[in-house]
Amino acid sequence: MTGAAPRGRAGTLQPGLEMRALVLTVNRLVWFVPTLLGLLVITFTISHIIPADPIAFIAGDNATAEQIAALKAKFGVDKPVPVQLWNYILGVAQGDFGISLYTQRPIAEDLIARLPATLELAFVAVILSGVIGIPLGVLAAVRRNSWLDHALRVFTVSGLAIAAFWFAILLQLLFAMKLGWTPLQGRVDGWGPDPVTGFYIVDSVLAGDLETLADVIGHMVLPAVTLSFPAMATIMRFTRAGVLDAINSNYVDYQLAMGVPRRVVVWRYVLRNALIGTVTQVGLVFGNLIANAVVVEAVFDWPGLGLYAVNSILQSDYNGIMGFTLIMGTVFIIVNLLVDISHGLIDPRETG
Amino acid sequence: MRMLDQSAGVRRFLAVAALAVGVATTSPAVAGGKFVFANSSAYDTLDPHAIFDVGRVASRINLYDGLMRWFDNPPHLEPWLAEKVEVSDDGLTYTFTLRDATFHDGSPVEASDVVYSIDRILEMKKGAFSLFAGTVEPGSTKAPDAKTVVFTLNKPSAIFLATVPEIHVLNEELVRANEVDGDLGTAWLSKNDAGSGSFRLTRYDPAVGWQAERFDDHFFGWDMVEDPLDVIEFRTVVEINSRVLGLMNGDFHGTDGYLPQDQVKRLAASENVNVDEQESMRIFYSIIHNGRSPMTDVNFRKALAYAFDYDGFIDNILSGSVARDPVPLPNNMWGAPADVKGYTYDLDKAAEHLAMVKEPLREITLGALAGYGQTEQAAALLQNGLNKIGVETKIVTEPWPVASGKMRDEEQMYDLLFLWKSTYYADPNNWLGEMYACEQIGARNNSWYCNEEVDRLLSEARVSTDQAVRQANYEQANRLLAEDAAGIFVYNTKWFGPFSTRVKGVRFCPIGNGQEMRWVSID
Repeated sequence: MTGAAPRGRAGTLQPGLEMRALVLTVNRLVWFVPTLLGLLVITFTISHIIPADPIAFIAGDNATAEQIAALKAKFGVDKPVPVQLWNYILGVAQGDFGISLYTQRPIAEDLIARLPATLELAFVAVILSGVIGIPLGVLAAVRRNSWLDHALRVFTVSGLAIAAFWFAILLQLLFAMKLGWTPLQGRVDGWGPDPVTGFYIVDSVLAGDLETLADVIGHMVLPAVTLSFPAMATIMRFTRAGVLDAINSNYVDYQLAMGVPRRVVVWRYVLRNALIGTVTQVGLVFGNLIANAVVVEAVFDWPGLGLYAVNSILQSDYNGIMGFTLIMGTVFIIVNLLVDISHGLIDPRETG
Repeated sequence: MRMLDQSAGVRRFLAVAALAVGVATTSPAVAGGKFVFANSSAYDTLDPHAIFDVGRVASRINLYDGLMRWFDNPPHLEPWLAEKVEVSDDGLTYTFTLRDATFHDGSPVEASDVVYSIDRILEMKKGAFSLFAGTVEPGSTKAPDAKTVVFTLNKPSAIFLATVPEIHVLNEELVRANEVDGDLGTAWLSKNDAGSGSFRLTRYDPAVGWQAERFDDHFFGWDMVEDPLDVIEFRTVVEINSRVLGLMNGDFHGTDGYLPQDQVKRLAASENVNVDEQESMRIFYSIIHNGRSPMTDVNFRKALAYAFDYDGFIDNILSGSVARDPVPLPNNMWGAPADVKGYTYDLDKAAEHLAMVKEPLREITLGALAGYGQTEQAAALLQNGLNKIGVETKIVTEPWPVASGKMRDEEQMYDLLFLWKSTYYADPNNWLGEMYACEQIGARNNSWYCNEEVDRLLSEARVSTDQAVRQANYEQANRLLAEDAAGIFVYNTKWFGPFSTRVKGVRFCPIGNGQEMRWVSID
């Protein structure tokens, strides 16, 4: 028997496995710091070897040499690069990401103000990818080589091949300009609900403001669809492959022979085995999603971290670039940690 | 003693304003309304003394007032918060008398607020600081009474008045109350308003933009505009396509006027958008590194100037959307001589001059700015011309932060670099004095150009209080710079201001970029 039908109550870890999950979590958390440190050193080095002079840039083309020197001293960029790196690491250790060369505000303040917008968009896009991508992947597998499978293959190849910014503009032209079904850009008309969590969907629900909620969801549709398209394609492909792999297992033959309906076998047992690979992909997909968010936020004027990153890169704002990279690296690591933990809940071999 | 007061200037100004209002009343307008502008630059701070760029001018001119203000195109300077200004005969003392005006919190605007504002600019060393550095010393500005401000310059400066609009007056008491650790209130002012301007800040989010409501108690009053706006909103929309589609769709009522021509045509074809075309004051040219061989040889520089296809660039690449400008001063600025025809694309003449070059030839580096297609196109066009006369070139395209750093370093500076020079104040010194005065070498003179006669003309014009002398000097300096081929001077920009057809009364001024909203109404 190559596959293992789940035994016991799904989603409950055995005591030994609980310890394993705990060890895994602690292990990942221990690696968290050196991983971020490595990320920080690499980003710092790359952003500082570019022969740009962001201080001259932010000072403006009318600035005097005195103005530029004063700004360099203020931001500490008049010191040798290793000294700057050490000072930066010390600052980060104390929660100080430095001052943005461009906005001249603390980086942490800038990032925190924009993080909810990006996370809200990313979460909705991931959910959309999973909710649509997984069932379609199963369908493609169970109807392998049918017209539906071929059509879905075209869909997935398109999702992976089409540039996000081009797809975004197409969606804008069709749904916002031509049909007038959705707003063109922005996160909300006007200024949004009173901030509690920073997630507009949650905040408008908390405020009981259904009108704003509808407006927020309307604004979310096009960017979330754009962002989820490649993610959906990846999830669909991995689900299809996983289901095809699992469906040929002996336990499936056994269960079918026992008279368990095919639908139940596929959706209850096969999918569960197949999802292990898919869930792993969700972690990786989240990384791609954040990268794509930079482009999607620019097109849809979404006031999140992506747009902030674009501005930081264009202005050679070292601190802004590093702050963005660090926070996104942190989110990426946390998501992958959650993915690892969720394996324990999904993988039948790890449940009692 | 010369005196500028409301009588002559403001009469002319009022007449233009009335004209603007006249346009506004051609169709019945609903009182008030909200105007939404899609801005390409992020409003990362609202502190009027921290920034000095055209892209974020709206927060400065709508939330704050200065003693003087620029209006219309070509720009003319009028007393604004000041009722009148007297200039001493030696050109060192400027005495401003203030009008009755109030800040947004209801407190009166007083001379001490002006003194605080100029000293704050000098202490912060940001934004418009460079305009006053070396001319106004900290602590030298006095307020003998609540309505009188006296600036005493440490050397005569004919451009001082032209720079006064950049002294945005802050409510000293309010800012001091919000200072933290001697930060001059920068943190607080980055997201709050301490001004007396036509609009009062109501919301601000650095990721989104800002919103302000009409300030009914503004000193200028609102009688001259029928149905003035209730609310103005300036949102940051970085992506060009989103700004254009949003304007066509009615989400926005205006956006910036320096869009690429394909987008301007797209907007002009929309029934919801009017495009207002005006010649602005933003020249496009190529810096030539005059301090490095073989560009030290005037014949080589002339060969460069004759090898650029001006008509091909302007008519074919830019579809005639700009105005040929043969000198380093915008055509529509006083001091631009009418008798300079400039260089034409003439490879025979280029070859003739090249043959006279005594310095050894070498490969020439043509700099262009990444993301600014026009600079790359211009470099490619020049490369094509130079290849035909046997000058080897290579194009180096780098982002602006890289280029702006190299521009200040004699060794790192490109041999040539295509770029624009914008209007920070409407005086010929903004262009000639900063681009070619010897004392600005390595700072704002990135050409390493120093000609004794040109420098004498520019220095004299910078301090003279005689307008006729100034005009004659600048005209002659332009002629000499053109003759010397100090740079490759290509065009003066046109502004294509796209606004919703519902918007009336926009007054374009190159300094304010058509973004002073107190004259605007909306159907």
